[in-house]
Amino acid sequence: MRRRTLLGGALAAPLLAACSGGGGGADGGGGTTLSYGMWDPAQAPGMEKIIAAFEERHPRISVRIELTPWASYWTTLKTSMRGGTAPDVFWMNAVNFQLYAAGGVLEPLSGHIEADATPVDHHPDSLVRLYAYRGTQYGIPKDFDTVGLWYNKALFDKAGIKYPDASWTWDDLRDAAAELTDPRRRVHGFAAEMDRQMKIYPAVCGAGGFILEDGRSGFGDERSIEGLRFLTDMIDRGWSPPQSAMVESVGRVRYWSEKVAMNYDLSAMAGQMYAVPALKDHGGIAVLPKGRRRATIIHGLANVISAKSRKKAAAWKFVHFMAGREAAEIQAKAGATISSYAGTQDAWLKSMPEFDLKHFIEMQKYAVPYPSSENTAVWENLQYPLLGAAFSGKGGIESAARTLGEQMDRALEEERAS
Amino acid sequence: MSVFPSTAASKAAGRTAATRSKPRGQRTAYLFIAPLGLGFAVFYFWPLLQTFYFSFTEFGAFGGHTFIGTDNYLRVVKDVTVWQALGNTLFYSLIGLTALPVAIVVASLLNRRGLRGVAVYRALYFVPFVTLPVAVGLVWNWLYNGDFGLLNEMLSRFGVDRHYWVSDPSTAVYAIGTVMVWSSTGYYLIIFMAGIKGIPRDYYEAAEIDGAGALRRFFTITLPLLSPTIFFASVICMINSLQTFDLIYIMMAEKNPAIGDTQSVVGLFYKWAFIENAQGAAAALAFLLMLLIAALTYLQFRLQKRWVHYG
Amino acid sequence: MADTRKRGKRGKRGMRGKRGRAGSIATHAVLSLGALVMVFPFLWQLLTALKTLAETSRVPPTFLPDKWNGASFEEVFTALPFREMLTNSVLNTVGRTLGQLVFCSLAAYAFARMRFRGRNVLFALFLSVLMVPSSLLVLPQYDIIQGLGLLNSAPALFLPGMFSAFGTFMLRQFFLALPKELEEAARIDGAGSFRVFWSIMLPLLRPALAALAVITAMWSWNDLLWPLIVNTDPAKMPISAGLTSLEGQYETNYPVMMAGSLIASLPMLLVYVFLQRHFVQSVALSGTKG
Repeated sequence: MRRRTLLGGALAAPLLAACSGGGGGADGGGGTTLSYGMWDPAQAPGMEKIIAAFEERHPRISVRIELTPWASYWTTLKTSMRGGTAPDVFWMNAVNFQLYAAGGVLEPLSGHIEADATPVDHHPDSLVRLYAYRGTQYGIPKDFDTVGLWYNKALFDKAGIKYPDASWTWDDLRDAAAELTDPRRRVHGFAAEMDRQMKIYPAVCGAGGFILEDGRSGFGDERSIEGLRFLTDMIDRGWSPPQSAMVESVGRVRYWSEKVAMNYDLSAMAGQMYAVPALKDHGGIAVLPKGRRRATIIHGLANVISAKSRKKAAAWKFVHFMAGREAAEIQAKAGATISSYAGTQDAWLKSMPEFDLKHFIEMQKYAVPYPSSENTAVWENLQYPLLGAAFSGKGGIESAARTLGEQMDRALEEERAS
Repeated sequence: MSVFPSTAASKAAGRTAATRSKPRGQRTAYLFIAPLGLGFAVFYFWPLLQTFYFSFTEFGAFGGHTFIGTDNYLRVVKDVTVWQALGNTLFYSLIGLTALPVAIVVASLLNRRGLRGVAVYRALYFVPFVTLPVAVGLVWNWLYNGDFGLLNEMLSRFGVDRHYWVSDPSTAVYAIGTVMVWSSTGYYLIIFMAGIKGIPRDYYEAAEIDGAGALRRFFTITLPLLSPTIFFASVICMINSLQTFDLIYIMMAEKNPAIGDTQSVVGLFYKWAFIENAQGAAAALAFLLMLLIAALTYLQFRLQKRWVHYG
Repeated sequence: MADTRKRGKRGKRGMRGKRGRAGSIATHAVLSLGALVMVFPFLWQLLTALKTLAETSRVPPTFLPDKWNGASFEEVFTALPFREMLTNSVLNTVGRTLGQLVFCSLAAYAFARMRFRGRNVLFALFLSVLMVPSSLLVLPQYDIIQGLGLLNSAPALFLPGMFSAFGTFMLRQFFLALPKELEEAARIDGAGSFRVFWSIMLPLLRPALAALAVITAMWSWNDLLWPLIVNTDPAKMPISAGLTSLEGQYETNYPVMMAGSLIASLPMLLVYVFLQRHFVQSVALSGTKG
């Protein structure tokens, strides 16, 4: 089978290249159509506008969006890479980036960036570094996401508590959570959900711990455990629903339905929150309260070029355009995400005047980039099964965290060995 | 009700058909078998060999693989999640077996002389088995729902506290197991009804004349004479439960804290092979699963001598 | 067997008394309770599908919908390419079922009625497929489908499932049971093997073919693991895999999920209602030790 695939590929490649007018310089001829792979339908309108602006500049290049739902995006991408039918340009995230870079299926961009003076320095440094592998840049960030504290002003007013602000520490959050919890109304102060990006990583980093450093897991670290305990403790005390309850209605939904007074959630959710009338009216945003140190998690998507693309020159033109100010402004206006290009976020801020969205941008200063390695998914998948019991009020967070640390270290070792 | 003819007759049939036109007949026979044989070769035998080979290799994420000897098997044996999944899977086969007594009791009730509506009962009991497992999982998740589920509501009438059945690690396996039993009872019911039909009525009548009550008749006639069928059903039941996947896949969300306590071997295989890019280890796991099935089937065949009566 | 039953009825009628009557009522009570347990979840599914989202999140839950509302059934079709998914399920089911009927009956006939070298070995080899768990095959099967360029297509769904050891085994048993005189008469008239098979043997095998068809159709319609792997494009998924994505998308929207799962299981239930006899027969067969 493998042989046939290989042969098929070898035969097909020159043939197709011939059709499109020869090698990478395909865009020199009678027009090139690039395919652009992405998964979020909410961002499609914004992307269409960017594409229109790009096509105006480069009349010979047209771009067609290939929208694949999140659930199947990565499997589809992987097989299309093997089969040679992957999109020319596509979205990449931190979890998968190193796997793709190490697999040699991404086009190195460092040379292009230098030649065309692409403004990568206008994007948050922590994000840019997320998409470098062994000193080579393979992707350019397009947007970013930080985690902030969302709270329900009406519930705060009812309990007679001051709204959260930048001075808040974990103790303040705990006190407020206790006050806001009202078992009779089935309202909880906080949603200490078992979610890595929104709860676990920010808490671990806020406690001064870490997830992954120098190829070593941080879950066995005392500080990291303290961060985890910050979450599970609220479950044990009844200030947060247990994870078992949040499988059936997730923290976000509980916050929407005003059954949870405070929740850590992504900036990308602003649009959806805004669409809930009650929250538009009395939803508030603050920076994450300070533990041992200030921290939140920053993640952003990047545009990358397939190494197997036969239209790399055109693809680069498109990626270069998307890295610039004009594209960032269009994206910001569309409102679905925060553009990562510095100074272009105003449009996003103004798109929802009732929300204090600026906190999400402020937090960039101390945000920790989303941890990743070559086989991120493998050790990430260890987390929920191991931490589940502790997050549903069964105790044992310390030993669970240590076990997780050991298993993650073993996974990292295997990753290095391969 | 023996549907299958005796093997003696079949041998005779084969012989007479074969005595005619040997060389041409042979070629025709191969032609008849060829399509299926080709399909089996391409989609079963070749893949089986390949999986065996894969189990000694490591896959590159984007194609290609390298030979790594028995590393995958070592990884499988050393991995705690494998043992946990194995334990869960064995537990499912035990729970799954409880469908058999339920089905036997219902089948013997349906065997009651002169009972009306047998066909209707049989039809209703069989419905869960015909229904799409994914749909079954969704419906039961809704019944089990901790906040708004009907089960909690009904139990609260009896003073039982609200509970998150499928996401509490201590109850999730039972919740899933219950659904497995619920959806397979109808299947075994039909098997046992066919089996009971094969028991001559005379036996029951004789016992009745001797003054044996219904319970006694059940234990002295139905059960022993049904034992070959029970044996066969238990083998099928075990083989099916060891490969369970659909229900758990649909009922257990990714962040379910009970996911480690409910994951089956095939579920783990799916995760390794198609999510974590560990096809080699997944292949090794699949082989161990096959060995397990073979071993348990063998064990059942050994044990049957102790309790199965062949009339 | 029919004799025995008749004799039993006649003989016992006189002995039936009050005890028998009470026993019969008790039997019905137990059986109906069981039947209720079997069917109630489906009733609840239907009732939920007809409620609004707000009504389903009420505590305590209402039994009948306040206002009967079919909006969820429409929403399913906009949330997912449900129409395509249903079509894919039909293609998958028809493909596998037809394949098995043709390939299995051909081979089964040869195994039952023809004599050729290696028959027993081949038959044993074919039967060994029954012992192999499907998880052992899906990785290379996936590669084959990919190599053929068939990922995300209807043939990807049904290709491997068109070949069945169980079907071959079952049909062979039936062929063995058919009287050989008919066949011999036809041969004397000069009919070739295929003619004999097609116009004489197959028609006699109709009940067995029907039994195989319904059980295959059911397995194909309900299959999840394989479609989940080969067809990741929602428009190419069968309904079983499609429903799983509904769960992710509509985390707590139970009316929509119930409506979706109801529509997804309905076609097979209809087949069952109309062809119940064949279902029962095929299951009884699969459970009888041959």
